[in-house]
Amino acid sequence: MPTMEVDGKQISWEGKKMILQACLDNGVELPHYCYHPGMSIVASCRICLVEIESPDPKDPAKLVRVPKLVPSCQTPAVPGMKVYSKSPKAVANQKAVMEFLLINHPLDCPVCDQAGECYLQDYSFKYGRSESRFDENKAKKPKKDIGKHVVLYSDRCIMCTRCVRFTREISGTGELAVFGRGHKEEIDVFQGKPLDNPLSGNVIDICPVGALLDKDFMFTQRVWFLKTTPSISPFGSGGENILIQHNQGRIYRIKPRFNAEINKWWISDDIRYGWQFVHENRLAELRVADAAHALPMAWEQAEARLEQTLLRSVSERGQGSTLLMLSPFDTTEEMFLAARYIRKVDPQAAIGLNMSRIDGQDQVFTNPTTGQVTYTIRADKSPNRSGAEKMRRHFGDNIVMFNDLASQIASGRYATVVLLADAIGHNDDELAALLSPIANRIVLSSRPSRLTGQATMVLPVCTWAEKSGVYENFEGRVQAFEKAIEPPEPARAAGHVFWNMLGMPGTYSAAQVRQVMADHGLSEYAAVSIPVHHEKVELMEFSPL
Amino acid sequence: MAFSGPVLLKRIPNDPQQRKLLRYADYVATGGYASLKKAWGMPAEDIIKLVVDSGLRGRGGAGFPCGTKWTFLPKESFPRYLAVNFDESEPGTFKDRYLSDYDPHVLLEGIAIAGYANKISTSYIYIRGEYHKQAKILEEALLEAYANGIFGQKHPGTDIVHNCYVHRGAGAYICGEETGLLESLEGKRGWPRIKPPFPAVAGAFAKPTIINNVETLACLPYILEHGAAWFKSMGTPSSAGPKLFGVSGHVNRPGVYEDELGIKMSTLIDKYCGGVKGKYRAAIPGGVSMGILGTDQFDAQLDFDIGRKYNVLGLGTAGVIVMNDQTDLVVMLRNIVRFFAHESCGQCTPCREGTAWMHKMLSRIVAGYGTAKDFDLLLEVGLSMGSMPGTTICGLADGANWAVKTFLQKFPEDFKKRLKRDVVPGVTLTPAGAAV
Repeated sequence: MPTMEVDGKQISWEGKKMILQACLDNGVELPHYCYHPGMSIVASCRICLVEIESPDPKDPAKLVRVPKLVPSCQTPAVPGMKVYSKSPKAVANQKAVMEFLLINHPLDCPVCDQAGECYLQDYSFKYGRSESRFDENKAKKPKKDIGKHVVLYSDRCIMCTRCVRFTREISGTGELAVFGRGHKEEIDVFQGKPLDNPLSGNVIDICPVGALLDKDFMFTQRVWFLKTTPSISPFGSGGENILIQHNQGRIYRIKPRFNAEINKWWISDDIRYGWQFVHENRLAELRVADAAHALPMAWEQAEARLEQTLLRSVSERGQGSTLLMLSPFDTTEEMFLAARYIRKVDPQAAIGLNMSRIDGQDQVFTNPTTGQVTYTIRADKSPNRSGAEKMRRHFGDNIVMFNDLASQIASGRYATVVLLADAIGHNDDELAALLSPIANRIVLSSRPSRLTGQATMVLPVCTWAEKSGVYENFEGRVQAFEKAIEPPEPARAAGHVFWNMLGMPGTYSAAQVRQVMADHGLSEYAAVSIPVHHEKVELMEFSPL
Repeated sequence: MAFSGPVLLKRIPNDPQQRKLLRYADYVATGGYASLKKAWGMPAEDIIKLVVDSGLRGRGGAGFPCGTKWTFLPKESFPRYLAVNFDESEPGTFKDRYLSDYDPHVLLEGIAIAGYANKISTSYIYIRGEYHKQAKILEEALLEAYANGIFGQKHPGTDIVHNCYVHRGAGAYICGEETGLLESLEGKRGWPRIKPPFPAVAGAFAKPTIINNVETLACLPYILEHGAAWFKSMGTPSSAGPKLFGVSGHVNRPGVYEDELGIKMSTLIDKYCGGVKGKYRAAIPGGVSMGILGTDQFDAQLDFDIGRKYNVLGLGTAGVIVMNDQTDLVVMLRNIVRFFAHESCGQCTPCREGTAWMHKMLSRIVAGYGTAKDFDLLLEVGLSMGSMPGTTICGLADGANWAVKTFLQKFPEDFKKRLKRDVVPGVTLTPAGAAV
């Protein structure tokens, strides 16, 4: 592996890399604004300039000092090279660029959403000067509403053009452009063509300053109060890696989490803004519809009641009269436990699977210049279809195809149905009508619907943000996620319910279920790793007064 | 030193009354296109060698050896393009316009020779947007050239058909920068490109491209006609050949004059321009981005070594602007910096912000609200955006810096007497500078 020296530290890299990328990969921080690994290099912010000594092509043992400062984002790393980012010249440039960027910046950090995660702030602290030498009037630029989700504060913009390149190279829609020239230039959209592509929210993430802000998140929370939990998107079969950012049990926003093989740096707006259902219209009680009235009850009672119901129906109607309906929106662990429990009380129980929600066709985004696929929004909107299929295969015989359900139900085969129906119901009404002939209808759901309305027993369960587990995406990739926030009382993870009913020892946790699954021949679940989010915390060094 | 008479301007009479546009027939009647015929009879390599030997350096400003530039083209990589830089937008420069106003065919002949020597398939004349009349003249001359088999034909001995088009710019100074020109030519925003790749490897439409100035190409027919030794007999060892000088400002007869490189500025002004109007104070050697020549530098030799010898950036386009002792140099510098602030493409941070900052500062000084610290601050802002090599992608910031730096270094008193003594730190004397 080739190596080079950066500020006295040896770093190595593989293949062809630019100096900056090689440094970032090795945890060596060089300042940069316009560079983004997912997009073309423009080398225009000029803060990443470094001094280099490069091996002489004729005599590689000899190092030649390059007289110019070179942009580290655009200069290829060469084995044996020496890079100086803290030399007097490089530091002078960093200081000058910081000053230039700030002279026309409004410095309105106290009212800016980006404060706390702003590269201007960070680099100003690290590389800037403490007071302004700018005695002139600042340029005044307007605030613009440029799209459904995005607001642009032109005065905070540093013209790194990341957003422009995103719409040209990633979404391929090209809504954003630079207008004007010199210090009067601004990012803008063309008249009558707002920024409304399905990936538009990503421009907010890549904006290094507070110029592009999220209308949805705006003024709701200071970012330093947010806690971050890595998670997996529940809004589709892509298995996009995300970060849930929350505070005091409330989600405030969702950000993409880098995964080179799946979503890279991006997520679609459906994922970014889809979380509201977590805090809306949740089931507030466990309920049993008796002959005449509905009874709220506690979990212990409900679990006992559930078991009673199942046992009675099996003893009255015989084995095979129970139907378990899995949902491609639940975690694999929950489906495993549910199926195990149902097969315990009714060894002949049928296992069905609710349908996926399919929206049209896969939406593929390509870079118009290179033709490379940059992002795909999957048509299949269920996050765990693969997991559900796998569980059905695991529990083998007596599985029911959705299309056969209607005739089987009509024949009066089933006395009881246990339905897992996590939050994102799409065919609730259809399903409710289909299942209505069955006598005992037990529904585990996170929010009310026609299904819960006509159920004989309703158990409120967690949404994905409130539980842990694995989702398996369209290509069968098993990805774990952890609980981000506490569920609202009295909701409980569906897995937890069946864990208790199976009488498993110890406290319920998804990781433990995966061990049990591994013991039952599903060995691939033993080594699923849980993603960890590292907060970037830099300890500042203060010199004594 | 053997400049015996106009070369490039030999078809353009000195008397304005007698000047007229030369049509194809007039041009051929005075020996035009003979060099092209001669070139077609030579192997292409010999022409390149001849141009290298002649020591012809680019006339557009940077002075890069023309023949050497041609040799950078990767071998066997086709198609190749030639972009003719006619974006003559440096303030004080009007030599190319003068040439094409009266003698457009000399440029076309130069293009045809360069095209044959380098196996070019398409030549684009990128002409400044404001040059309406010149674009029209060139279009008409091109039609004549096409009609007479200069273009639209295969280069002799090859299968490459050489076409030539006039492409009009939209009036941006930065599109005179070679890669900004290529971006604009491709229909994009005129933002200079990061190098590498250099245009000779991946230029227009990502194909090998040569970019030459109008005057550089206009020299080619004469080099072919008279040979490299003749060309070298003019000028100095490092700056060979004749050169067009566009003189403006406080002289009695401003205009475009031709003499050999290395001529003293004083000689140029006295011999051709009828002397300075009033008393000489300062001059800009070649476009405002080159800086300023001081009062004691009236005898500066105008050649490509001028930068080293007289503390300016270079000869530039040799558009000399002469200023007498009535000139307000602070206002002059403010105007120059306003130009750069207006023309900065806005891509690189230091140039985008720095030029505007300097303009605001200078406007404030002109308005009478300058303070003592402004002098050093101006110098520092200029230096940090331009003088440190590599801080920006192209040379615009450097040009602005050289203007500011040399004005302040050579005429500090002009500025200092406009600055009030320093006031309490942190207290601004309002009003701040007006916007551009």
